[in-house]
Amino acid sequence: MHVTVEVVGEDVHEFDVEGASYADLLERVDLSPHEVSVMVDGRPVPEDQPVESEHVTVLRLVQGG
Amino acid sequence: MECTKCDREAVMHAAYSGNHLCEHHFRESVERRVRRRVREDDLLPSSATPEDPQTWLVGLSGGKDSVVLTQILHETFADDPRVELVALTVHEGIAGYRDKSVDACEELTADLDIAHEVVSYAEEFDVEMDDVVESDPENMAACAYCGVFRRDLLSKYAQGYEADKLLTGHNLDDEAETALMNVFEGNTEQMAKHFDASLGPFDERNAQAGMTPRAKPLRDVPEKEVALYAQLRDLPVHMAECPHSSEAFRGEIQDLLLSLEEAHPGTRHSIMAGYEELAAMAAERYRSPGDESDLNECVECGAPTTREVCRKCYLVDAVHAAD
Repeated sequence: MHVTVEVVGEDVHEFDVEGASYADLLERVDLSPHEVSVMVDGRPVPEDQPVESEHVTVLRLVQGG
Repeated sequence: MECTKCDREAVMHAAYSGNHLCEHHFRESVERRVRRRVREDDLLPSSATPEDPQTWLVGLSGGKDSVVLTQILHETFADDPRVELVALTVHEGIAGYRDKSVDACEELTADLDIAHEVVSYAEEFDVEMDDVVESDPENMAACAYCGVFRRDLLSKYAQGYEADKLLTGHNLDDEAETALMNVFEGNTEQMAKHFDASLGPFDERNAQAGMTPRAKPLRDVPEKEVALYAQLRDLPVHMAECPHSSEAFRGEIQDLLLSLEEAHPGTRHSIMAGYEELAAMAAERYRSPGDESDLNECVECGAPTTREVCRKCYLVDAVHAAD
């Protein structure tokens, strides 16, 4: 599946993934699930779930070190 | 993915508990942890009555932590005549950054109808952080000055309001980072101070005259959950990072802590469980005879201090001398 990951206020990334979780997507953009909210259709989703949407928005909630 | 507790769609996964929670049960879970901490810390003693209520001063910065704390405390105690909430916002003199977060504070306190006061380093000390980082007379990180100034004003106004408690929005990540920093620095005396200042049960602390007891009711809630709570409830929160933020060591510890938490869910909770015991032992040890720190009054401002001139006045004088 081709997935677009938009990190709000930063970059847009595109990946081809198979059987990945939202946490796997975060790892590829070098973010921790503990510092962001992953949004699909404007709603937060649990990061351990399999990616089911082609458009994922990542909102930074916590300032990194 | 369904919520662990009902059939609604989950909005989050807490790896440390294994739970997936929907918005309703997630909000309930955050609020329950804050209320449990308020109870366990005995924030509201049985001596409080409608005729003689407790005054709690909340340090409200406009960031997610203090906004969530203020909102939950308000919803819990607004109808309880034994508690009066007052919010205090400190303007450090950081152009742009703090102006916007003061707006968030004013919006929240107007919505909730809470007494609110804004005080500034400029009016209190004739100092602005934007200038301090330029002159930097002590060759320190900006946060090292700012923390001293902020704590001084929170304490001073807590005394002025005759507040019974001073509450701040420190979350689980903040506290676990501070704990690890004290461990890695080998600073057992700082652990003892941490216990006496805010961690220990009030009746086990070495309370110091002239200091309002502090507490951190959000300290069981991970930072991400505080932020998610604010996002889901659409609370007025100012999200930007301070432009002078410079605590390099804390940043390293934060990265370490989050990668540990990722590999071993529950690490933050277990660090705090063990650290609280260690800090209690350290506090006991440093309380031994001959090691007591009697407080004097600062000769310049009268604040309690172990020196002749308190740290705040020393730094303010240094900044003015460098002008």
